[in-house]
Amino acid sequence: MMLLVALLLVPLIAGLACVVIRSTRWLERVNLLAFLGVAGLAVALAREVLGRGPVKAWNGFLYADALSALVILLTAFVSLACGVYAVGYFRFDRQNLKAGSRQVRRYYALTPLFVFTMLLVTLANNLGVMWVALEGTGLACVLLIAFYNEKTSLEAAWKYIIIGSVGIALALFGTILTYYSAAATSVVPEGMGMNWSWLVTSAEKFDPAAMRLGFVMVLLGYGTKAGLAPMHTWKPDAYAEAPIPAAALLGAGLLNCALYGILRFYVLASKCLGTEFPGQLLLVFGLASMMVAVPFVVVQRNYRRLLAYSSIEHAGIMVTAVGFGGKLGMLGAMLHMVFHATTKPLLFFCAGNIQQHFGTPYSRKVRGAIRAMPLTGGLLILVTLAVTAVPPFGLFQSEFTILAGGFAANHPLLGGLFMICAVAIFAGFLQHIVHLTFGSGGGTPTATICPWKNGAMLALAVGIVVIGFHLPESVFQLVQAAAGVIGGAQ
Amino acid sequence: MTPMPVDPDFSSRIIMLLTTFVLVVQLMMVTQRTLVGNIHLFAVQSLLLCGVAGTIAWVHQATHVYFVLALMLVGKVIALPLFLIKLVRRIKINEELKPMFNSPVGMLLCGGFALLGHVVARPFAGRSPLINSTFGIAIALVLMGLFLMINRRTAINQVLALLCAENGLFLAAISLTTFGMPLVVELGIFFDLFVAVMVLGILVFRIRETFASIDVERLNQLKG
Repeated sequence: MMLLVALLLVPLIAGLACVVIRSTRWLERVNLLAFLGVAGLAVALAREVLGRGPVKAWNGFLYADALSALVILLTAFVSLACGVYAVGYFRFDRQNLKAGSRQVRRYYALTPLFVFTMLLVTLANNLGVMWVALEGTGLACVLLIAFYNEKTSLEAAWKYIIIGSVGIALALFGTILTYYSAAATSVVPEGMGMNWSWLVTSAEKFDPAAMRLGFVMVLLGYGTKAGLAPMHTWKPDAYAEAPIPAAALLGAGLLNCALYGILRFYVLASKCLGTEFPGQLLLVFGLASMMVAVPFVVVQRNYRRLLAYSSIEHAGIMVTAVGFGGKLGMLGAMLHMVFHATTKPLLFFCAGNIQQHFGTPYSRKVRGAIRAMPLTGGLLILVTLAVTAVPPFGLFQSEFTILAGGFAANHPLLGGLFMICAVAIFAGFLQHIVHLTFGSGGGTPTATICPWKNGAMLALAVGIVVIGFHLPESVFQLVQAAAGVIGGAQ
Repeated sequence: MTPMPVDPDFSSRIIMLLTTFVLVVQLMMVTQRTLVGNIHLFAVQSLLLCGVAGTIAWVHQATHVYFVLALMLVGKVIALPLFLIKLVRRIKINEELKPMFNSPVGMLLCGGFALLGHVVARPFAGRSPLINSTFGIAIALVLMGLFLMINRRTAINQVLALLCAENGLFLAAISLTTFGMPLVVELGIFFDLFVAVMVLGILVFRIRETFASIDVERLNQLKG
């Protein structure tokens, strides 16, 4: 009800206000307040959904079930973390004349709008509106990617918008086909024809030919947004060129929203066609993404691009998990989404600190980061282990669950491939990061501690360690409920 | 059901005629060399699609399709082409890029796409006589739009190619579901399209400033 509307209005109003505000101080405050508000509302929504089931507003135009609530919670968390870090990051950029005040103002205006579009993706009941919102995310963040106005950032932005637009066009095609497959076989109630909450109740009766083609198109389209191989080529460029807080929002926020789009259609497709056809498609794209990431991680010389390949791998893992299916697969996918979204921002922030201090994205030019910046270096080691799924961190638990799901679903070979890819990426990652952190380097001055940047990082690090040992009961309930939504009627 | 004022057979023939013209215009775009010529062709294509939407709105007495028609007319036939022409004038492009495939090869490939669209659309043919031809053409338009994107690799041509693919999607929506999508979705799509063209315009302008060219082949530094 009011909750859903407020979730959308807070970032929208903040974004529009930031278009006219001129003082940087106030921009920072408005952004932080907005993200705090969104986080509070997201927690309230999660409680509401856990307590009383799906929430609707505006005559079913907005709809939030456990899956939406989970993705909203993660999006809110990531945007708050990025908001805090951004204050320190852009102050540093301003001081060192890396960015002008107009650029920074543009960042603070576009980011809340970007968050607004992400929240609209998860709240829209109408699949057409969801598409509009996902296209909107791309438009909101393309100018963030072009932020530094260099040749390379323009190239990355151009690639992103062109590849993304082609993908999103395919997804619209898939959405139209899904709508058609519903309209061709059953009487659509007035004005509800594209509402997911209605579609899911009668998906068994849909026209299978149209649904099949529609799902393929949607997977290609939203898969492009999520950066699944072979549509991932925009990702390393965009992640490496965008300013760090924006890149973290892309990598830990938008990724979930794109996967969310795929999952909504997966539920419809699996009800209409059975889980085999959509599941196998997901397995193909998921494992392809994991395998593509391996060689690029191993030989990568730019640590910013390394992050992007890690993100391609994790998108692949989540899609593979849903492809394995079953209770374990779905639970693993949702758990992975939670742990990935909470862990990834810290990795981005560490990379950001190092890049701001050493002034280069190339690993070989950065040596001995731990001596120049002890805190960042230490956290970098911690988060590298967490991101590459070393126990006891959360991502180990989720990957283990997914692997168990794979074996339970009778895919031993694919399970083995999954394991090999994960291990190879662990090895490649660790090698780069260890060189970067401990390598012998010539006396770079010690970095100063910035309360905004390092505060956000420390808080994240504590969170990562804590949820590695103990995921709060209510969050786990939400994860289970979300897994129930995509696993059908379990 | 409201009584149909027009013989449905007659209207479906009109729609078929108009969509065939849409396809012809698309083929002309493959061979058209100048940018402004291409933009004019895009406007003509959008106008033809307006005709299709108008016929459907008229036959089925669907008021909300009239809204979509008005949006198309103002947006795609007038505003976007004018904006693009202004952009071309403003950045003073006089370089003419050779397409990747010469005209005959391009035509042949597009013929193949038209055939492919027809084949993909066949399973859907049983539902109504209209779907067979218009949906096939819609698929062909999307494919040709993507082909245009790689054929002439200048920034503005890529924007135009995207818009053509979007025209194909419009045709697909209106031919598959008769009434198109709910109005709120159509409005959203138009809004996105406008913002997208604006953002692309900003980027084209900056690319022109930075690279002194809009040849996207020069955007080739990022690898690995």
